[in-house]
Amino acid sequence: MKFKISQSYLEATARQRIGFIVDKGSFKEIAPPSEKPASPHLDMFNIPKSFGDGVIIGEAEINGRPVSILAQEGKFMGGAFGEVHSARITGLLRRSLNTKPDAVVCLWDSGGVRLQEANAGEIGVTEIMGAIFDLKATGIPVIAAVGGSCGCFGGAGIITGCCDYVIASEEARIGISGPEVIETTMGVDAFDSRDRALVWRTTGGKNRYLFGFVKELVENCPEEFRSAICSAMAKSFKYSLKNLEAMQEHLQERADKFGSMDNTFDIWKEMGFNSPEAIPEMTVAELKSTVQAGGEK
Amino acid sequence: MTKNRKALKQQKLSAAKQLTSGLKTVSADMIGELLGKVIASGNKVCIEGDNQKQADFLSQALLELAPDEINNLHMLISTIGLPEQLDIFDMGLASKIDLAYAGPQGFRMARMLREKQIEVGNIHTYNELYARYFMDLRPDVCLLCGVEADSDGNIYMNGSAEDSSAIVEATAFQQGIVVVQVNRIVDKVRRVDIPADWVDFVVESPRHKFHLEPLFTRDPAQITESMVLMGMMTMKGIYAKYLPRTLNHGVGFNTAAIELMLPTYGEELGLKGKALTNWVLNPHPTMIPAIEEGWVESIIPPGSELGMEKYVEANPDIFPIGADGSLRSSRLFAQLAGHYSADIFVGASLQIDALGNSSTVTSERMTGYGGAPNFGCDAGGRRHTSDAWLQAGQEYTGGGLPRGRKLVVQIVETFQQGMKETFVENLDALQLAADATFPLPPIMIYGEDVSHIVTEEGIANLLLCRTLEEREQAIRGVAGYTKVGMKRDKKVVADLRSRGIIQRPEDLGISKLRATRDMLSARNIKDLVRWSDGLYNPPSRFRNW
Repeated sequence: MKFKISQSYLEATARQRIGFIVDKGSFKEIAPPSEKPASPHLDMFNIPKSFGDGVIIGEAEINGRPVSILAQEGKFMGGAFGEVHSARITGLLRRSLNTKPDAVVCLWDSGGVRLQEANAGEIGVTEIMGAIFDLKATGIPVIAAVGGSCGCFGGAGIITGCCDYVIASEEARIGISGPEVIETTMGVDAFDSRDRALVWRTTGGKNRYLFGFVKELVENCPEEFRSAICSAMAKSFKYSLKNLEAMQEHLQERADKFGSMDNTFDIWKEMGFNSPEAIPEMTVAELKSTVQAGGEK
Repeated sequence: MTKNRKALKQQKLSAAKQLTSGLKTVSADMIGELLGKVIASGNKVCIEGDNQKQADFLSQALLELAPDEINNLHMLISTIGLPEQLDIFDMGLASKIDLAYAGPQGFRMARMLREKQIEVGNIHTYNELYARYFMDLRPDVCLLCGVEADSDGNIYMNGSAEDSSAIVEATAFQQGIVVVQVNRIVDKVRRVDIPADWVDFVVESPRHKFHLEPLFTRDPAQITESMVLMGMMTMKGIYAKYLPRTLNHGVGFNTAAIELMLPTYGEELGLKGKALTNWVLNPHPTMIPAIEEGWVESIIPPGSELGMEKYVEANPDIFPIGADGSLRSSRLFAQLAGHYSADIFVGASLQIDALGNSSTVTSERMTGYGGAPNFGCDAGGRRHTSDAWLQAGQEYTGGGLPRGRKLVVQIVETFQQGMKETFVENLDALQLAADATFPLPPIMIYGEDVSHIVTEEGIANLLLCRTLEEREQAIRGVAGYTKVGMKRDKKVVADLRSRGIIQRPEDLGISKLRATRDMLSARNIKDLVRWSDGLYNPPSRFRNW
């Protein structure tokens, strides 16, 4: 069958991803590599630094509307949150409280806190979470896109959960503990991290979409990410105690319903999919039409 | 003892038949006892095990034998793939081994060798080892591995037959005993790959599935830009120049990159239909785009590949398919085809010295040869001609008596992961041979058999080198910033470049800027599934969906 490969969001660098998402020529970078912002901690580990410390921040326009945007570089130390890395993100988010863009767009791609600067990184993650809540309280939507090879784990998984709206591709994995961590602590029988199909049907974008964590599932294609971000900017989000309590209740129900199941296929079956084993093979469009045709979401 | 092979076989058979009440089928719980009747001390025992398939149940069953009754076994295993196959040495059942390859057990093999826990007869190439089964290593017993058997002992092997035909022929007709584990005993086998009267006993493996490695699956996601660049150089500098129609590729990512670039860069070079039509190759998933685009006339596979079954069955014009519709493979014939009738072999290596000798042995890991030396050597006995073969011969001899020459290409990056240098002054193989007191250092491909070395720095055409010194400088000239490369004589290298013996990407008219992953016809395994229209069913470990 003739098959044409498309550009890949997964394989793109952070800078390429920003180029895909924002209006051409509109990106104004803040504290760019030429200013040489870098981690002060990595020298002592003999680890090469990166100017920008693995995250690009700036302001741009999407369809002519102003946004703040950040993109983590998963190819540098797994997109991990170090001290400078986190401070750059926090700075952009706090600045947005004053500049009041139409949205803050976060292109996450991170395995979590950088172990070489763990304390600073952990603090950084909490500061980012705090800034996200402040933005939400001000009514500025925080839109997350996940489609890199690191996915979002550890602190990055938590931060993603704090955003108003999560867009992901099937290739994106989202979770708290990564597959290797689960295997190490719980044993290979509990979770075989080398069984990639198992890893993806558990943590991958499709399952997160079916659970409602990911609001919009897209193919691994830059145009689809851009158009999903545009659609998200047309939505309004309400951040209130009432909504949080409703969410808490929903999560409790979910835990009661699926908590004893140890296989995604069983969960999908319980959700109402007649042939759950077909789900991993489906394209995004096929999955969405199956969901609409009666498979519960 | 060899005078009584027939009588000994009869003795063993009558003892064993008492156990099985005269039947050929043995129940799984009796298998240890049965092996105790048919295996005697000092026997040569051949276990079917290659780099993919392993007779795992029968290998395990050997552990039930009592070393005080049965010992000094001489094992014949083409690929040591399972720990049990070395456990029998620790237990004192076996003492000597002749083999071709020890991939997954290579580290343990190296350690056992150092500690003198195992005596290695010789390390062979595949066909060389099979050949010896008919000469001085005649198996007394062979333990095979099939898919289905009927109660008469007819065996169905499916596409993973691989070593089976060579082993069973050597055993059944030289008064050896043939024991076969199968996934299932059925009323009627799907196809008879081994006729019943060659088989003495069959046993149904309780796991109903033999060990099978998806060894030839390369995820396009792991192909780097330098692999793409080296692939482009090989395609333009070698494929487009000699237009070889018959070929073999190794299993590495470098050649997987080329396979994925046939529908893109190959198309651009106009190679389709003119070259690369007939292949010796396992069913590589990375060949799917080229097959779909009509590049390939035939593929003779040494073995099968997990997940490729349906795709292969849907392409009976290309792959050898039986009347039953499933793949038939034979390592013996595929290796013969690769040796005698491939115009070009393209592979990779872990270490290459300044004269072009290469080896995959490192000090801590003893692997062996497998099939590469038979593919990667000029076939001295070849007499049929082809344009590519004659053109290479012409370059090599530079005139005189018309001769042919196989193209043997090594594609390597100058540095591997962890900044390990591919080019070395002394191969680790020399040290390993000294430590293990092997009379022959395990060289995979000798320098004089190599026609081209391709690195990210360029192509060295060794056919055109007229002296050993020139060959050495040609190799140093493409060895980049390795220590071997830094010791090059700049003047000589410049001269070699002006004579076209060394060609840089720019000499070939290749812009490095074009060497990106956009050149690949598939970026990942999922793309391959889509190219195959859903027929390719990759194993779980290769999925990211």
